[in-house]
Amino acid sequence: MDYFFIIDFLQSLVDGLLFGTTYALIGIGFTLIFGVMRKLNLAYGAAALAGTYIGVAASLAFDAPPPLVFLLSALGSGVIGILVYYCCFRFTPTHYPMASLLASVGMLLFIDEVVIHASHGMPFPYPSVFRDATIELGDVWIRGDLLFVFGICVVAMAVLFWLLYRTPLGLATRAVSQQPRAAALCGIDPTRVNLLTFGIAGILGGIAGAMTAAAVGVISPIIAMGLTVKGLIAVVIGGLGSIPGAIIGGLLVGAAENVFLLLRGVTERDIYVMLLLFLFLTLRPGGLFGSSAGRD
Amino acid sequence: MDFYFGLAQIIGVHTLLGLSAYVVLLTGQVSMAQAGFYAIGAYTPGAMTAMFGLHILPAIVIAGLVSAGIACIVGFPALRVKGLMLVVATLAFGEMVRLFFFNLTWQVERNGELVGPNGAEGFRAIRYFPQNGWEVWHVTVFIWIVVAVVMAALWWMDRSRAGAVLRAVGHDEIAAQSIGLNLTAVKVGAMTAGGFIAGLGGGIYAHTVTHIEHGVFGVLLATFAIAYPILGGLGTVFGTLIAVLFIQGFLIEGLRFMGDWRSLLFGALIVLAMNLRPTGLLGEHAPRMKHLLGLRGRKTETLESKEAN
Amino acid sequence: MKLKSLLAAGLLGVSTLALATAAAAQDKTIRIVGFGASSGVVGIFGQNSSAAMQAAFEKINEAGGVTLADGSQAKIVTEYYDDRCNAEEGISVLRRIASTDALVAIGPTCSNVAEPLFGILQAKVDDGGDTGLQFPVFTDVAIKGGLAGISEWVFRNTPSEATMYDSLFAWIRQTHPELKTIYGGVEEDFAHSRFTWYEVMKKAAEANGFEVVGEAQWLLSDTNFSNQARGMRRAEPNVVAISAHPFTTCGMLREMARQKIEPEVLVGLTSSSSLETISGCAAEAQGLTIPTSFAPVNQEAIEAAEAVVAKGGQMDLHSASAWENAFILRDVINAAGIEGTAESLEEDRRKIRDALAQLTEAPGLLGQNKRMPDGEAVKPYVFVHAKDKGWEVLHEPSS
Repeated sequence: MDYFFIIDFLQSLVDGLLFGTTYALIGIGFTLIFGVMRKLNLAYGAAALAGTYIGVAASLAFDAPPPLVFLLSALGSGVIGILVYYCCFRFTPTHYPMASLLASVGMLLFIDEVVIHASHGMPFPYPSVFRDATIELGDVWIRGDLLFVFGICVVAMAVLFWLLYRTPLGLATRAVSQQPRAAALCGIDPTRVNLLTFGIAGILGGIAGAMTAAAVGVISPIIAMGLTVKGLIAVVIGGLGSIPGAIIGGLLVGAAENVFLLLRGVTERDIYVMLLLFLFLTLRPGGLFGSSAGRD
Repeated sequence: MDFYFGLAQIIGVHTLLGLSAYVVLLTGQVSMAQAGFYAIGAYTPGAMTAMFGLHILPAIVIAGLVSAGIACIVGFPALRVKGLMLVVATLAFGEMVRLFFFNLTWQVERNGELVGPNGAEGFRAIRYFPQNGWEVWHVTVFIWIVVAVVMAALWWMDRSRAGAVLRAVGHDEIAAQSIGLNLTAVKVGAMTAGGFIAGLGGGIYAHTVTHIEHGVFGVLLATFAIAYPILGGLGTVFGTLIAVLFIQGFLIEGLRFMGDWRSLLFGALIVLAMNLRPTGLLGEHAPRMKHLLGLRGRKTETLESKEAN
Repeated sequence: MKLKSLLAAGLLGVSTLALATAAAAQDKTIRIVGFGASSGVVGIFGQNSSAAMQAAFEKINEAGGVTLADGSQAKIVTEYYDDRCNAEEGISVLRRIASTDALVAIGPTCSNVAEPLFGILQAKVDDGGDTGLQFPVFTDVAIKGGLAGISEWVFRNTPSEATMYDSLFAWIRQTHPELKTIYGGVEEDFAHSRFTWYEVMKKAAEANGFEVVGEAQWLLSDTNFSNQARGMRRAEPNVVAISAHPFTTCGMLREMARQKIEPEVLVGLTSSSSLETISGCAAEAQGLTIPTSFAPVNQEAIEAAEAVVAKGGQMDLHSASAWENAFILRDVINAAGIEGTAESLEEDRRKIRDALAQLTEAPGLLGQNKRMPDGEAVKPYVFVHAKDKGWEVLHEPSS
């Protein structure tokens, strides 16, 4: 093994782990929604993208500073998340998961098309911070903006944990996710919890979308599909219903993606990521952290 | 007139795609791998007719068999998981197939020109139909004969014990197991049948469009495959047909005069349809099935909601 | 109930449309129809192209329209169909167009629609054994090399990338004799960009004495380019050529800036010489050099661009082709002596095809376009580079 290879390997790993946090956030969103509703929301990636575009609109309209753009992206995505809940989940029967699944597909296509219609499919610049800063550890460079992305994602996760485990709201959410009927009997309104979950998951998605766009510096509607697929993979590797699992899964996907890119080239990269997932699923169907806790 | 025949071809091909997902959905499994089987079905007979000059009929039958074989092999490991896990597992498989064809370059010389799959640039000149004097309506009749045969077979199956078995597994796995059904055999059987139908559809698709490339067989197509039967309703095979007519005939062709508003309406109308008729346009149960399983009622809901993952 | 009404509405929608298009033939008119993606991620191509066509036909109609065989004048009516960059839809759209009284179609915008679409056309005219569709198509945007050869009913007015890049690299060799090495970056899963790097840019660079010291590949929706850029940095190339669409071009340029890769010359893909690149990353794209078959360099081109902007589109190398196609078709129709009646439809289409096939030269906005026997065009071009907030002409090889 020559020196360059080791450096490249380390560098890929570092980049992948830092970037993987965005996958982790999307994964957490899927897991949260799945936890309380037992439903898959395929419109999630698109909602995250649309929120990010709301931020872009603000930055184009009145030259908003980056923190405000990020905030608007996150909140916008939260609002769209709630909208998705009303359009796809609120009025479809709970015992027939395929209805909401397909409704969310329709919503995915709709949101995507609205974004494209409004933006003419043009890529727009997205503000990023610490863009030119790099920390050089020998020959391994750590990108300042990726570090920022990493930091924001970690903060978002910390806030989420606090919400879930230290507030009455979180208690209610966890109660609904474990035993919806019992929770309802205890006076928790499942609709309200569902609504909040979609809002929170939406905000997380918005942050992930904003951070992805900030890391690239450009936003285009084509990133939605990638976010959705990678987020789903992260969830499944980590184990459904497990938030730590989604985080580890996200980091793992990010790292694996970059390492396979280095080892096998870009055309085969995704084959290996998918293969990894496939193996995981068949050999360890519950995922890394899959336990009985997420099931009733 | 050719335009309507052409439209009928598209509807026929998509009906096959939808039916392939329908069989698997009957067992309660959402498979996103259908686009992958469809891709295998498209490349295999494309290669056989364009590269080696085989007749179309054996070519698509072989395509169906190859897809069915691969579906069967994939079915064993994939069907160990269910619900969302299965969605992602099959999605991963579908993407793997797509990426395989993305990387596949295999060309042979025929009449002085290179034919065959050429990586990202796709597989050009699968012109069996026009080269052999098939008019558009010949092709349409051919496709609809295949569709009719497949639909009749499925319809008959639905009414026989096999259909009841599939639905029993889809309805409640534990109950099905407890009356002695072999879950793995049933699910893998459904997956194999689905793979065969998707293979036929893909084979015909390749010949109607003459050029195929990996990008066509992505997540979006897989989503459409499951969308048709869900939108149409899992009660009968005609649900899938109605849904294809609705999406391909009305949403895509019928609304074309609306320009780019059409694409906006497309998603919105699917959302609306699922809110108004959550169990699909034709409903969840064929009339006779309801009769047969007359016992079902609200009691089973609790079980089902637990089942969902 | 609901279902029945939905179905009825669907059937009604399909059938009324066919009727409506057939009923609009009172004044003497002929129909030329455009199609391509006007919604979806690449919808901008179709929107621009549609605007250019409308503007051009309006200008032609103001000047009297076209002359038919009996000496009477006819106006051109047009419309634009959206195929969403989907092969099946593209084929369906062309069949629909062929089932109306349209004489010729201009489109499509996507190479991945063009390739199957050309495949369903008759490969060789007068080949009785080939039942492919017999309808002339005059493509404006779909640019991937070598497609017109698929069928003799297909003509393209897209620039020849082989000629343009050959000339560009020859010019770079001449103006920068000290440069030796080139590094390629290619968007691997998009047919056009992949073809342009491996078959066009790479060969042109090697032919002009550049040594290819490496290649970086990425995919259409990639967001992370650090691995690829690192390889590039180590190779220390003099020239970097990026064959990718604006989104990943921008991503890669940003990563190059971050890793402080500063090649002397930066070459881009023809399709990226559009507003999108400037909108996405004006700062990083500075100096990006691209050959293009359109730039507002003369009075006619400037006026054409203004007319297109007035229709709500943008004039770039793609929509300029749509504009030129309209005028070429006017001349072809005038010369071919078509009858323009419902009975003569088949013959008229054939006449237009034959007239297009016979052309050896056609007027364009930057000068005469050469028409090739295989239906392709070789168009005059200029080299532009990104400067400030727009594209500026760097060099005009013809002058």
